[in-house]
Amino acid sequence: MKFPRPRRILLYVLLIFFAFMYVLPFWTCITTSLKTEKDVINTVPIEPAWPTLMPWMDALGIMERPLLNSFIFTLFATIFSCFIGSINGYVLSKIRFKGSEMIFLFFTIGIFIPYQSVLIPLLLTMSRLRLYNSIQGLILVHTVYGIPICTLLFRNFYGEIPDTLIMAAKTDGAGTWTIYRRIVLPLSSAPFVVAGVFQFTSIWNDFLFGLVLARGSEALPASVALANLKGTTTAFWNVQMAGALWYALPVVIVYLILGKYLIKGYMAGAVKG
Amino acid sequence: MVNIIIKNLTKKFGEVTAVKNLNLEIKEKEFFILLGPSGCGKSTVLLCIAGLLKPDEGEIWFGDKLVTSPKHDVYVTPQERKVAMVFQDYALYPHMTVFQNIAFPLEVRGVTKSEIEEKVKATAELLGIFNLLHRKPKQLSGGQRQRVALGRAIVREPKIFLMDEPLANLDAKLRVRMRVELKKLHQRLGTTTVYVTHDQVEAMSIGDRIAVLKDGILQQTGASKELYDSPRNTFVAGFIGSPAMNMLEGNLVKKNDTVMVDLGFSMFELPTWIGEKLQETKESRVILGFRPEHIEITKKWQKNGIEAKVDMLELIGRELYIHFTVGNKAVVGISRPTEDVKIGESVWIVPQEEKIYIFDEKTGEALI
Amino acid sequence: MKENLIAFSILLPSILSVGYFVYASIGWNVIASISDWKGLEPSYTIIGFNHYAELFHDPVFWISLKNNLLLILLFVPASVLLGLFLAILLDMKVRGEGIFRTIYLLPFALSFVITASLWAWMYDPKTGVINILLEKIGLGFLKSGWVTDSSIAMYCVILALTWQFSGYTMLIFLAGIRSIPESQIMAAEVDGAYGFNLYRRIIIPQLKPSALAAFVILMVFTLKGFDFIYVLTGGGPGGWSTFVLPLEMFRETFTMTHFAYGAAIATVLFVIVMAVVLPYLYFSFRRKGE
Repeated sequence: MKFPRPRRILLYVLLIFFAFMYVLPFWTCITTSLKTEKDVINTVPIEPAWPTLMPWMDALGIMERPLLNSFIFTLFATIFSCFIGSINGYVLSKIRFKGSEMIFLFFTIGIFIPYQSVLIPLLLTMSRLRLYNSIQGLILVHTVYGIPICTLLFRNFYGEIPDTLIMAAKTDGAGTWTIYRRIVLPLSSAPFVVAGVFQFTSIWNDFLFGLVLARGSEALPASVALANLKGTTTAFWNVQMAGALWYALPVVIVYLILGKYLIKGYMAGAVKG
Repeated sequence: MVNIIIKNLTKKFGEVTAVKNLNLEIKEKEFFILLGPSGCGKSTVLLCIAGLLKPDEGEIWFGDKLVTSPKHDVYVTPQERKVAMVFQDYALYPHMTVFQNIAFPLEVRGVTKSEIEEKVKATAELLGIFNLLHRKPKQLSGGQRQRVALGRAIVREPKIFLMDEPLANLDAKLRVRMRVELKKLHQRLGTTTVYVTHDQVEAMSIGDRIAVLKDGILQQTGASKELYDSPRNTFVAGFIGSPAMNMLEGNLVKKNDTVMVDLGFSMFELPTWIGEKLQETKESRVILGFRPEHIEITKKWQKNGIEAKVDMLELIGRELYIHFTVGNKAVVGISRPTEDVKIGESVWIVPQEEKIYIFDEKTGEALI
Repeated sequence: MKENLIAFSILLPSILSVGYFVYASIGWNVIASISDWKGLEPSYTIIGFNHYAELFHDPVFWISLKNNLLLILLFVPASVLLGLFLAILLDMKVRGEGIFRTIYLLPFALSFVITASLWAWMYDPKTGVINILLEKIGLGFLKSGWVTDSSIAMYCVILALTWQFSGYTMLIFLAGIRSIPESQIMAAEVDGAYGFNLYRRIIIPQLKPSALAAFVILMVFTLKGFDFIYVLTGGGPGGWSTFVLPLEMFRETFTMTHFAYGAAIATVLFVIVMAVVLPYLYFSFRRKGE
């Protein structure tokens, strides 16, 4: 026991106090999203009123298309970047050739660059490729910028597979691609979940690329749509909060169900933003 | 079946030379052992034979086919070499059943399903793991996994078996049992086998011939009896046989017709046959060697005896290990449990005449 | 050999795309920063480092830099300390540890747009929960305009960001604490250390690598973080009170179409971030023995 008994009560008091502080913003968000405009003005934010689903419907009306957009490009970019990360990770961890360390470093640095420093050329590139304001463009961008972190995740995971396993497969007659398909890939369910969950939340949560590359169009991502809600006078607080909740929903679900994999991704040393 | 010829094999890892200029010939159908302490390069040699490592220099031939030669840019991939390998950690595919593990090398080569089934079942039967075919590796014991690894190697009917300390992870009793089984298997299949181990007892018991390595350099090659009876240097002499050979330093002294070793605290007269062999040798620092199992103990001084004090006695079932102090060195002797010695007693150790060894102190080479 | 060729060809598309979208783009950006590109048509006439000089004399640049520094000096230590504190609390074998951990970490998993919207609502002077709660518990005199008050807006941002990130630093420290072998703790307890002493003298000193990792990652965030402040305050109130470098870059480039100037700001940002990241990467690569 690291602390004697009477202090335990203080411990729980502190924990609950902080939990309260952390939950407060969400609580006010939820209650507000279920109030009518009048109630929002007249009642205290943390007190719920007679719930109404109007704000949720209104928010959905505005955000329906952007949510769908986000779903599509997030899903595809996640799948692409994970698969590319997987074969890259396999090659970099199991095939020792000259320069594999260099190439790994090449990718790793790419994780940390501030996106501002590539934004202008990116804009030019996208418009030249006619991918500006398009979902395909967002898929391309998120896939490419997701390759470094996915490669890192998979390479670290595959590093744990004993080399003797690969050597055994080689003497058994399996070539590089067969080894990947029949030995490495079947053992990859864990890193795929970690990378998948990490990429899903990172891409879904992205704002900057959406803002710069797809702001005024049908490819509008949900993050930008939500930010737009804030600026307008037509959407009052309750609708804004409902919009935020709609947008938060997928990530919250992923977080609650697959949270421990997300944590593994965070611990790999990289962070969003 | 093929023989393996290794010429001038050298492999470096950065600054470290793991294998230096190794020359070996492994005969067809032979059960050949690579023996040595950890880090001596034996696994490196094995991996080069398998094609999993590329040497810096040298050649490797399987029969009359050149499979590795950096100089001529020849390098046959492991997949194409038709060797089978058993690893120390067994390297079983964790996500596959025993059946699938053993079937894998056949599948990869495109063997028909029915033939695969036949062969896998026959192999499993042979190794006594038939009832484990649908289990996964993590459900198996160490000994069972080892057999699966063997099965995966055998099922391909390869020309060469390579084994990298396959018994090292088994407990002592199982290891002894598996040793016998491996030997029986080899007698049955007759495949050329190269087997790596650091355990000299294992090597002596199952090998047809043994190559002893130290720091990447070949020390001696021969059948176990040869290595035991005629070690070529102090390393081989000390490595083979347990407890190790006793080695005492001294000066070689010649007086008239007798040759003696001046051990500092006493003089030890060498038998005439050694004296004859050392006729040309000058007086110099030498090492006198004799094995613990080749001694007699007397209570009186003898000119070919060494004075010793009994330190400790270990009664090991059918043998008595006696630990002596000679001069200031520790010496071990093995005798019958009925030997009449007491702790603290002073006795004379008399090595058997025919079993005395003399090595040059500087080079370690045997002088006789 | 053939294997190496296969390896290289598998990596090639990634190398090319990352090479283009990251490295070449950075270079292109630097070139843009020394051009005279203004307005919607790109221009590639090189005019030297004028824009950087301009930057030096630009008051907004210095305000942004100051705010970035404020983040580094306040937000980072606050998040790290709060995270450490929470990690220690959770290390005490509490019941429901998983639930508490989930709660503390949730903000970090969410998008900045969401959290900025939440805090915008909480900070609202008229109907936001903070002012109303303060009133209710009799601390009405502490009411304020919060993010609408330019003198304290930045501090409001810092508080909100601490809330969002402390779950992450908590995670890092928790992993660090748990990586200390149980036998060491037991040995210390037998030696007579427990409670504060145990933490102060045995556990916390061994958390240096975790603290370092947390510091570096948070610092990188303070330098390139854009989303949150943009959505919460847009850089205001009063024009620049919560401006940070990424915001300035965005405004100059996309609002004012001073592309070359914006590229210069982006380059400065890049240099600062790399100055923090590269030494850290170098040391951790070395430590892993790679």
